Amino acid sequence: METSDRIRIGGLKILEGGACVVSSSPLGANCLSADICAPLAQKKINLTFFTHLSGDRQVMCTADEVGETAFTLVKSRAAPGTELRLQRGTAVISVYPHDKGPEIMGTFIRSLARARVVLHGLASSPSAISVVLSARREKAVVEQLFEHFHFPAFASPQEFFEAQPPPEELVQQVVATYQEKVIKVYWILPQPDLDLWGATISSTAILEGFAHALIDMGKLGLKIPFIVANPGLGGRDFLLSFSTLKAASQGDQGPEVRRILQWHLPEIRPMRLTPVAGIFFHGPHFGDRYGVVYTFLQSLARVRVSLLALSCTVSSVSAVLKQQELEAAVQVLQKTFAAPSPGAPRPFGRPGGGAGGPRP
Amino acid sequence: MSAKYVLIVDDDPDLVETVSMILESKGYEVGKAYDGIEGGEAIKKRRPDALVLDVMMPRKNGYQLCKELKADQATRGIPVVLLTAVGEAVPTTTYSHAEGMAVEDEDFIPKPVDAATLVEAVERLL
Repeated sequence: METSDRIRIGGLKILEGGACVVSSSPLGANCLSADICAPLAQKKINLTFFTHLSGDRQVMCTADEVGETAFTLVKSRAAPGTELRLQRGTAVISVYPHDKGPEIMGTFIRSLARARVVLHGLASSPSAISVVLSARREKAVVEQLFEHFHFPAFASPQEFFEAQPPPEELVQQVVATYQEKVIKVYWILPQPDLDLWGATISSTAILEGFAHALIDMGKLGLKIPFIVANPGLGGRDFLLSFSTLKAASQGDQGPEVRRILQWHLPEIRPMRLTPVAGIFFHGPHFGDRYGVVYTFLQSLARVRVSLLALSCTVSSVSAVLKQQELEAAVQVLQKTFAAPSPGAPRPFGRPGGGAGGPRP
Repeated sequence: MSAKYVLIVDDDPDLVETVSMILESKGYEVGKAYDGIEGGEAIKKRRPDALVLDVMMPRKNGYQLCKELKADQATRGIPVVLLTAVGEAVPTTTYSHAEGMAVEDEDFIPKPVDAATLVEAVERLL
């Protein structure tokens, strides 16, 4: 594909040497308990990727060398009947910035389809979209990504791989680590008035039909600030959830989103929950520090806020919750974490050029 | 009067997004780059009024880029705020510590960055 036909995008990152624990409970509970992360925090295990969806499915990633320990710890706290699977030798591949553009997310997923990968998890951060897959497939994925995206910093997949620092170099750069008494974050950004869409979808459909649906949603000018897909056990189906944010001038785009989904994915029955709210928790760097996600969940549990969906990837935490619980959630997070006091940036996509939403 | 142009160079995309939101909300025009080489190219295309530069980045780190800018007559006047997760901040704002002892920059902020501190640093330099 010519450079001019490809989508120009800022960057590409691969986090190698991972392990992935997939958990699925038959209870179908919608409440994510902080307990699931408690034993990992107590054992000082960093999570590099974590997702949760209503229906009680989680995907959590750690460094490969602690994967079995994490699996055993999660199993020890799991509800009866929970099915768990450990996948070692995984990698997390992220592209950025997605600018909340469905066409970028769709093109990313389409590239995964063409690389014939098995997804172990898919999630977004405020600016990146990430996938968990077997590290053995990362070369094929990167080659496909270069077919569909133009990365200004790298002319080819070879150049990208040559630029990756060897693991020992990374270790040499770490001169000090510390654990803060109060975890510092870049920003806590509330986002009201989202639609949350959910569906159970086959692995094949998520890679093809859903990718095309996203690309069509991009043509509508919709923004997607949140997306998560968690596999069921056996890898035959996925629980998919994404939120859409409409521009104030566009009115209700729900019927159009439903039409696009049903056009590309006639076999699914999408559910829409509206209005819901998002909390975008920028930069706690949970992958470098243990206990961040646990503290996040524990603080929400204290004010009885239960999350509809959660995505932790790259350096940030994104959560979707009931709109009426937004204020309580933001207040408790502001008290629990060292976040800048509210006042500067306003939620994206609001009337008046990406500004104007309520502040906590 | 046109808005001041600030370029952010960091390989953490969520940080770039956060910092750009903060600066845009204060009326700055913001450019984004995700590593030192891309940052250098962006500066050649358009000279920023200030540069917010991460230290630890692949391919070309922030110290290297900062040294190059300060060695070039055309770019040495661009004020640079270095962001780093390495070690602790040093009291001087002229030199940063460790590998960066020889790097001349205008300010130095430890990560995770505090929004108010960053805006204050940029405003002070412009």
